[in-house]
Amino acid sequence: MARAIRSNNRFDLIILSVCVVLALAARALPSTMRDPVATGMRRSFLAPLVMLQERSEKGRQSLLAADAKQAHVDSLSLASMRAGELEGENDRLRKLIGLGSRVRTGFIPAEALHGRGIRDETTVILSAGSRAGVSRLSPVIAPEGLVGVVDQVDPTMSHAMLWTHPDFRVSAMSPDGTAFGIAQAHLTGATGGYLIELRGVPFRATLKPGALIVSSGWGGVWPRGIPIGTVLQEIKTSEGWARTYLLRPAVNPSDVYSVMILRRERLAKGLEGVWQSVAQADAAAQRIVVSGDSAARSAALAEAAAHRAVVDSMARANGAPPLGATDSARAVAPAPRPVPVRRPPPADTARRDTVRRDSVPRPDTIPIRPGVER
Amino acid sequence: MNVGGAIRAIISFLIFVVLHYTLRPLLGWRAPMDFLVLALLLASVRVRPASAAVIGFILGLISDSLAPDALGAGALAMTAVGFGASYLKAVFFADNLVLNAFFFFLGKWVFDIIYFVAEQRVHGVELVQQLLLWSPLSAAVTAAVGVLLLFIMRPLLEPTNA
Repeated sequence: MARAIRSNNRFDLIILSVCVVLALAARALPSTMRDPVATGMRRSFLAPLVMLQERSEKGRQSLLAADAKQAHVDSLSLASMRAGELEGENDRLRKLIGLGSRVRTGFIPAEALHGRGIRDETTVILSAGSRAGVSRLSPVIAPEGLVGVVDQVDPTMSHAMLWTHPDFRVSAMSPDGTAFGIAQAHLTGATGGYLIELRGVPFRATLKPGALIVSSGWGGVWPRGIPIGTVLQEIKTSEGWARTYLLRPAVNPSDVYSVMILRRERLAKGLEGVWQSVAQADAAAQRIVVSGDSAARSAALAEAAAHRAVVDSMARANGAPPLGATDSARAVAPAPRPVPVRRPPPADTARRDTVRRDSVPRPDTIPIRPGVER
Repeated sequence: MNVGGAIRAIISFLIFVVLHYTLRPLLGWRAPMDFLVLALLLASVRVRPASAAVIGFILGLISDSLAPDALGAGALAMTAVGFGASYLKAVFFADNLVLNAFFFFLGKWVFDIIYFVAEQRVHGVELVQQLLLWSPLSAAVTAAVGVLLLFIMRPLLEPTNA
């Protein structure tokens, strides 16, 4: 019994020694041999365990990054919610910059601070005051047109009366100067918002819907040429001596956040052409947009005309009426051509045989300009 | 140990090994628990010292394969721990959770001591800090987790009378 136990102990010790020696041998292996052994084990029977560990570590990384990712997603969501607002603001500022470059001098940029009170839809606080050069009755404009007029001035801010104010009036006219009137606010209803009335337009002057109305420059407050609105329709009033038109305002005061206050000295120079260039630019943009359609349409028309000309010339050669002739023209019997009356030519005219008979150039010929070689 | 007990022990052993490669990296603690040492200790008390040494050697090689620079260090430490656990099972193999916790603690600490000394990667103050601070902490965590798993897996690990 004791011998068996001793034998077992000896066997255990031998195995232990073998394992220890093998472990030390593995420890003593050079790295050039150590790596292939470890790699071989990882790629063979340890591959499932390695895969488990990789997935667990990825899961841990995901857990650790979850808060940061959530915060990032929240930030992006907030940013995307503000993107539309920023785009609108960017657009307004671009327009304002464009207006500033056209006005060039004599203006004060300001922020319009809207209140939330009952009367605040007719007045606004501006972030520039007398220190910046603002004075009472200074016009307030936006890239779209007329906004209001400064009525109170503090050193650092000012108070402006918007065109929606019941006391606001501005002398207006059509750009061609054929119609003049006085523009004032027109409340369309309890919830309908504001439009503009153009009152006192002479009967002889009619305005079509869509016509632009600008400030006339009379009165000394507003320079000439600032857009006020466009004609919607004529409205009937009790005044029998003049017409009254309803205008769609150029500027919606609730959407105005950045404005320009014109200095008094700038008024003398006028603002004519400032908005005209804007209109021209818009028209040019529209032309560019539709130019593709126009080009295609004109090309098709030219091709059809050429085709028709060929067919007509063939028909004419065959003695048939040209296809381009109208039915009404064909229905009428051709009248006999009058016999030409020969009159003696005046003595100071050229001889008949010197005049080219085919004086009308053929459409397929190119006139030769003097000095141009073909 | 009969066949049923052997199968249950093998299943427990495999569960510990799988936990070592799933739960441990998922938690990522600075003083991590060592399920391989727990698996080795639980297996060692059920087999002869020679078998425990072989099991330890194989487990050590497995752990070393993921750290090729330390190849052999884990094998050496696990061999020693397995052999010692099996040799001392008469002392420690008792149905006492506190004794088992101490057993796990000691096994993990001894493993760390042998491992870090054999690995020769850390030296000086860092080695002392590792062996006297982080290794005991890791051993304590391992012991706590080991006791918890013993409690949970008691039906699976309970020795049966052959």
